[in-house]
Amino acid sequence: MSGIEKSSPEKVRCDHCLQECNQTSAITALIDGIKKSFCCQGCLGVYELIHSNSLDAFYNQRCDWQPGPPEIEVKLQTSSFSDTVTITGKEQRIELLLSGIRCASCIWLIEKFLMKIDGVVSIRVNYATHKASITWCGEKVSLDTLLHAIRSIGYLPHPCHGNETTELFTREKRDLLLRAGTAGFFSMQLMLFTIALYAGFFEGIEARYRLTFQLISWVLATPVLFYSGFPFFASALCSLRRSTLNMDVLVALGSLSAYCYSIAMIFYGGEIFFDTASMIITFILLGRYLEAGSRLKAGNSIAELMELQPHDALLISEVGAAVMVPVAAVQIGQMIEIIPGDRIPLDGRVVDGEAEVNEAMLTGESNPVQKKTGSDVFAGSFSMNGRLRIQVSGNAGNTLLARIIRTVEDAQARKAPIQGIADKTAGYFVPATIILALATFLYWKLTSASTVIALMNAVSVLVIACPCALGLATPLAILVATTTAGKRGILVKGGDIFESVSKTTTVVLDKTGTITTGKPSMTDLYDYRVSPSFMQYIASLEAASEHSTGRTIRDAWQGKLLKTERFKTTPGKGVSGWIEGTLWRAGSKAFMDEENVIIESEPCAHTAALEAEGKTVVMVACGNKLAGVVGMIDDLRSDTLPFIAGLRKKGFALKMLTGDNHGVATYIAARCGITDVQAGLGPLEKAAVIRSLKEKGECVMMVGDGINDAPALTEADIGVTLGNASGIALESASVAILNDDLELINTLITSSSQCFNIIRQNLVWAFSYNLIALPLAVSGVLHPIISALLMVSSSLVVVSNSLRLKNI
Amino acid sequence: MSSTFYLIGIGLFIGVAAWFLFIWAVKSGQFDDPEAPKYRMLDDEDVPSKTATSSVKKRP
Repeated sequence: MSGIEKSSPEKVRCDHCLQECNQTSAITALIDGIKKSFCCQGCLGVYELIHSNSLDAFYNQRCDWQPGPPEIEVKLQTSSFSDTVTITGKEQRIELLLSGIRCASCIWLIEKFLMKIDGVVSIRVNYATHKASITWCGEKVSLDTLLHAIRSIGYLPHPCHGNETTELFTREKRDLLLRAGTAGFFSMQLMLFTIALYAGFFEGIEARYRLTFQLISWVLATPVLFYSGFPFFASALCSLRRSTLNMDVLVALGSLSAYCYSIAMIFYGGEIFFDTASMIITFILLGRYLEAGSRLKAGNSIAELMELQPHDALLISEVGAAVMVPVAAVQIGQMIEIIPGDRIPLDGRVVDGEAEVNEAMLTGESNPVQKKTGSDVFAGSFSMNGRLRIQVSGNAGNTLLARIIRTVEDAQARKAPIQGIADKTAGYFVPATIILALATFLYWKLTSASTVIALMNAVSVLVIACPCALGLATPLAILVATTTAGKRGILVKGGDIFESVSKTTTVVLDKTGTITTGKPSMTDLYDYRVSPSFMQYIASLEAASEHSTGRTIRDAWQGKLLKTERFKTTPGKGVSGWIEGTLWRAGSKAFMDEENVIIESEPCAHTAALEAEGKTVVMVACGNKLAGVVGMIDDLRSDTLPFIAGLRKKGFALKMLTGDNHGVATYIAARCGITDVQAGLGPLEKAAVIRSLKEKGECVMMVGDGINDAPALTEADIGVTLGNASGIALESASVAILNDDLELINTLITSSSQCFNIIRQNLVWAFSYNLIALPLAVSGVLHPIISALLMVSSSLVVVSNSLRLKNI
Repeated sequence: MSSTFYLIGIGLFIGVAAWFLFIWAVKSGQFDDPEAPKYRMLDDEDVPSKTATSSVKKRP
């Protein structure tokens, strides 16, 4: 056991869990003639078990093990596992979530230990996710035995429920791929014969070949239409029943009429259009498959958040016993217990215990937060060390995490308004096309021509009107833009955001962390020689401070820190404390005035000069005399100036909001050339400023960090967070820039306006194509073969136009 | 002339065979995650057990 400190005489370290305990209460046992100490019976049991299985190597090679007893006292409910078992023949398989895994060696121990059990076929534990997947032979060993075996060596198995949403998504995508792929395969085969028939139409073809090719085409088109095209027909039927017409009605109508017409033509000896029928379906399915892929990718961020939600909670009943229950069964006001290393299952307030809690996935704050009695904890965060007992304040569906997941989900389901326009137009377009087709048929039927020619012209109208290009125009452009942005680290929450971004008139920037680095650095130091080693004293004083200015001063001192007694913080003003019998104070000028510290004219001049440069000034007093003045500044980021120049070039109105004082704000604003500044604003006041801008008719983009600016980000038309992909950032902002690179905001603006332009071009193309081709089809000038070729080329134009977005 | 029909037959057969292969691939989940395989080889999942075995050999 290398790397372990020697215990003091009265304390011993438990040989299993490394926790210190009193020698008097420790349990000692002779194992192979060597005396070993344990903190509890549980540890002794686990040690004996590991030793008897000759897996002692675990103790030799474990590192980074955090001391703590195993979780053997928790009650194990084996009944809740049985529904997650999958049985294939004699073998059974289960996915488990294991708690109590502290280091990489735990994985080794669990795998080795379980493999020793007769009947276990395979076990694999994933260190990153703490998930184990076990396959075993049901006849030789039962699940209960395995679960108890895992628990006997100090790990607690939890049932691991699959993520239903992702599973549904995957199934949907697989189904779509099968349909699109089938359509693709058969359409390709079909095209071979169709091209031969086209050639035959112009060059002449032997009748038996013609008939064979036509019959083969029929066979090939059938699965495309009725297997691949089934969703369209189902949706069309559904929409007809609700008497609201959508795009699918037109797709179904176009392809079905072309298909039926072609069958008739095989027997009448005319031309066939099976290719038109199947191409419509293939193209649209392919578009939908691509779209589903991007939705799935966006859905992964939700899935990641959902992973944070534990399924079980350790409920403390009135008599004090701990029982594992599903989270849904926990009522508001009940007590639950959090074991170190476990995720907190529900929102609540700590009633007992103290722990450092990691909330990184929710807030983006990577440092753990200290929680003690009275502090609020949130589902999804996890306790890093201590045990907590919390009173539940919201049920499973109403935690902060659940709300975040819901907002992100809603955002993804949102349609771009421009896509809504295409859907709405379909409502008028479909009946108009049907009426037009009918009118065409009647016109040609009544004016001399035969039924065949009348029918052919009517079908031409339907085929031409088929909105392949119209249906692809918006989703494809948005899809390409979203993926391209995603590859660069711009996470866009919904398709409509591109449209809003391209309409932006005003860009509002938060100062701290957006224009500036967010971390102040010490620049000036005036020492008035009241006390020697001034820096050491002030760093020692600030060592206890949580404030960012305090941390800057402490970080500027590398030497030894002195002990500070009776440390006191006056929020927003300063700190005070006793060091070596003298009272030291550090804070703003107002704080010094309040505390009656004598300030002479020299420090006053220094302070004024520093403030004029936009620096934050901390005055330090030793006793009643001013000992020194420290100046620090939160300087501009290196990419701020080019970023602002880029925004100005695009003609946006710029505005800076900050919670800092006026002097600093004006100085920073002047340095980056922003004239419109509002200082001293709280989070809600920032949101109010944005609201008033919106009332003036501006389309506002707000750039800030996800946590302090959340209300402002939500209020703005587009909220952009920088370098933060945490839950709250995702909830409040519509765009998250993952790379902490301001330039990406310019990229976003450029690509949005490009995307919007391309959508417009696509729609104009699709509509004008219909506008020109429809009258031609009605007048019977357009042969259906040519109209089918036109239609395919129109779709290709839209597709390749959308793909241009990739190069931005 | 009948060779054309043979060729058509062979062509269709190959096409349909490829389709069946595709169906098998989709059903067995080959297309479920086109992203992960390229990262999977970098996955460290195996490392703990390997280091464990090697350290057992070193320190018997």
